[in-house]
Amino acid sequence: MIKADHLIKTFVRNEKKNRKMEINAVDDISLTVEEGEIVGILGPNGAGKTTLLRMMSRLMKPTSGQVSIRMGETEMTDEIEVKRHIGYLSNNTKLYGRLSSRELLQMLGTIYGIPEQTVEERIRQISEVLSMDAFLDNRIEKLSTGQTQRASIARCLVHDPQVYIFDEPTLGLDIISSASIIDFMKRERDRGKTVLYSTHYMEEAEYLCDRIVMIHRGKIISEGTPAELRERTKKDSLRDVFSGLILEESGSILPDAADGSYEQPGGIKGGRA
Amino acid sequence: MNTKIIRTLVKKEMLDVFRDKKTVIMMMVVPVILYPLIFIGAMQVVAFISSSMETQNYRIAVDAGDDDAFLHKLLEQGEADEEENAYEITIVDAASVADYEAALNEETIDVYVAGKMQDGRMQYDVYYLNSVTNSDYAAGIVMEAFDELREEMTRQRIEAAGLNVHEILEPIGYEKENMSSSEQSLGSIMGSVLPFMLIISLLMGTMYPAIDTTAGERERGTLETILTLPVTNRQLIVSKFITVAVIGMISALLNILSMGGIAFYIYAILEMQSDVGSFDMAMFVPAILVCMLAIFAFSLFISAVTMCVTSFAKSYKEANNYITPLMLVVMFVGYIGFIPNLELTRAMAMMPVANICLLIKNMLVFKVDYGLIAVVLISNVAYAVVAILFLSKIYDSEAILFSEQKGSLQLFEKRSNLRKGGVPTVSDVWFVVAVTILLVLYAGSLLQVKYGLAGVFGTQLILLLVPLALVIYTKKDMKLTYGFTGTGAAGFVGSAFLAVGVYLINIMLAGGLMKLFPQSAENVETTFSGIMGDNVPAAFLVIALAPAVCEEMLFRGLILHSLKARYRVVSAIAITAALFGAYHMSLVKFIPTGLLGAVLCYVVWKTGSIYPAMLMHFLNNACSVIVTYFPEQAGRVVPMLMRDTLTFSDGMLLLGAGLILLGIGALVLRKCRKT
Repeated sequence: MIKADHLIKTFVRNEKKNRKMEINAVDDISLTVEEGEIVGILGPNGAGKTTLLRMMSRLMKPTSGQVSIRMGETEMTDEIEVKRHIGYLSNNTKLYGRLSSRELLQMLGTIYGIPEQTVEERIRQISEVLSMDAFLDNRIEKLSTGQTQRASIARCLVHDPQVYIFDEPTLGLDIISSASIIDFMKRERDRGKTVLYSTHYMEEAEYLCDRIVMIHRGKIISEGTPAELRERTKKDSLRDVFSGLILEESGSILPDAADGSYEQPGGIKGGRA
Repeated sequence: MNTKIIRTLVKKEMLDVFRDKKTVIMMMVVPVILYPLIFIGAMQVVAFISSSMETQNYRIAVDAGDDDAFLHKLLEQGEADEEENAYEITIVDAASVADYEAALNEETIDVYVAGKMQDGRMQYDVYYLNSVTNSDYAAGIVMEAFDELREEMTRQRIEAAGLNVHEILEPIGYEKENMSSSEQSLGSIMGSVLPFMLIISLLMGTMYPAIDTTAGERERGTLETILTLPVTNRQLIVSKFITVAVIGMISALLNILSMGGIAFYIYAILEMQSDVGSFDMAMFVPAILVCMLAIFAFSLFISAVTMCVTSFAKSYKEANNYITPLMLVVMFVGYIGFIPNLELTRAMAMMPVANICLLIKNMLVFKVDYGLIAVVLISNVAYAVVAILFLSKIYDSEAILFSEQKGSLQLFEKRSNLRKGGVPTVSDVWFVVAVTILLVLYAGSLLQVKYGLAGVFGTQLILLLVPLALVIYTKKDMKLTYGFTGTGAAGFVGSAFLAVGVYLINIMLAGGLMKLFPQSAENVETTFSGIMGDNVPAAFLVIALAPAVCEEMLFRGLILHSLKARYRVVSAIAITAALFGAYHMSLVKFIPTGLLGAVLCYVVWKTGSIYPAMLMHFLNNACSVIVTYFPEQAGRVVPMLMRDTLTFSDGMLLLGAGLILLGIGALVLRKCRKT
């Protein structure tokens, strides 16, 4: 299981006239995802989903709070130890285009400290499950979008992590590709793995998640199984639950633009170079 | 540290870089294909020129009245040379040349020789065009004929006078003999060129992989991927560093092999054609081995330095901006190989870049000092290790990855896209400072040589106007950029104390530094007094007032404020002060001006206004002007000024007084509230 304990992330933004402003992108969030459970993070753009997931996968240091992973009796908080047991996937985790999938997986295997034989065996298995045989030795830059996505999943799989953290994995994919990712998450959950993921697609979350955490402006505004959430808010669908809660929180269904702009700096905003 | 992880990462980086066409082209094509091509092209051009010279027919018009001695000589020489040099001389009838200048310009004749009797001897004038190859060459032939004619006539006359020709023409005998071995001569020629070529090829070789593995990795989006792995910052940086250093080494070796191959080829050809003296190539083996070691050490150093620069860039473009000033500095220092008589001393052996240049230069003339070789190699490796460890400590992947895009070059943006206000970005400032310094170096020194004091004023105007153009173009806030804000009287009083304090300490420092670098100190003094002239008010205006305004606006205004917006105050002050010291372009002046720069920055930071710094700078420079024009009066106030050498107690007295004044100044400034 993975546990986030009072996570806070503060960004300092330079406002006009040299005045600095502090914003809590994630504002005191505690969260536990058990083994054999899929938890979905829902929230409007700029709610802090990406920042939360980046902190939980230890890509970002929290301003305060702690992330830990427990496997059986052992609990880990060390950055490198935690990373060893996480498979993290987001739209910003690109692959080395000049390497082939096989080379990439072999390299990752060595870095994770897996014996060479085992790595080869795992590559064979993964390639079979994700049907990657046809393009395993092609350079990644030559692959199609769907093939690249499968190679990305293979990247997270190679060390057989206990915890999967996926940031909007189905964003912009066609039905078949996203279905394969959803299948994959279900399969891993059934193997007793811990899955935490964020999405914009309500139907997908409703179908897939054991538990849903809704966040807005860096805080958890509601949490529970899809059924519980529907019941609590007396709404028919998760979509209505979601818009209802956001509306209640901010008085408007549109996310506040000032808050929203700090989200995804590595992606959309940073890409403006 | 887990070497297996580093090995794997290095392997990955290598694969990544070598599978990139751009790198391979940069690395391979230039040395392996381009150099030989350029060489073959140059050979072709030379061959073409010399073949066209051989069949050349020179038309020479001689107008010497009745005296035909020269004409005979010329024809005689032409005939003799025809067998050796295969050129022809055609004598053009001088009477047919109406206007020799026009004829020369129309190239109907190559040389016009006019001779007339003057004071009892023939006086010849040779007209030719130095700008036309044929004319220039023909003039040479004519001059040769004159030399021979003169010698012949001298002999005849001495003989006619009944004297011994040999005794009179050659009263003494002498001969010059080159005692340095042919290997040493070759080495000294290579020693001035090779270090520079090497340093540049290593810099070029490391630059691209350094950008590719750092900024490139971020731009391609793979940095976030690699950060999901259980890998520490240090492992990441070290593996990238090894990759960059190895690639730099390979490209440097390729460059050297290619250049060496061409040099060997030229040598072989020359040897076949004539005897240039034979070389014992075996003698160069130790030199080459040490050079290899030097390349190895320097590639570590330069890789570490380029990585320190590129690691903080968020894109290729930004990394390129950061590299440019570094390149300028390295190239500038690399020229040190061309300076004659610069010795590799123990202190020099610690100076990065310069030490490698001098080491290679020394090795090629077979000056071997194993102690110094060790110092050079070890210092390079040590700098590299320290830089990389430091980099892995401060390298904040999070800031690089997720922080907002800031500090890119706005200068080339469309002006309508630029937002108004704020201070210029650091990249813009680097770019403009590089341009300004280059302008000052070339145009400024030209102006100073030509117009003296007025030229110095012109230089100051360049310092003011070029950066100002940037500020206006990028629509920045003048008040913020330059610190044009008022401050209380305390600011001015405090900075006046600081000015005098720094001045006293600098007298002490200058005295000490002059002892360490006597030659450099002399240079400074002569150039300074050479420029000043006699006009005291003008000197005040140009030496004291203009820099107080222009230099302050550039250094303590633009540079300090843009750095301060990006880095911590201490770093901003340190960088500005170092730049200010370097801008004075003298080893002796670096420390004193750097110190002055730092105190000026402090004043601006404390008061929030540039005006006290301007006052302080004015006072400082005014002191120098007063000392130059009124040495006796100044000597009465501060006797140490007029002594040729400072005693230890003088130094301590100056230091003590200076520190007290600095203390008072700092105390007064503390009272000063920013408005």
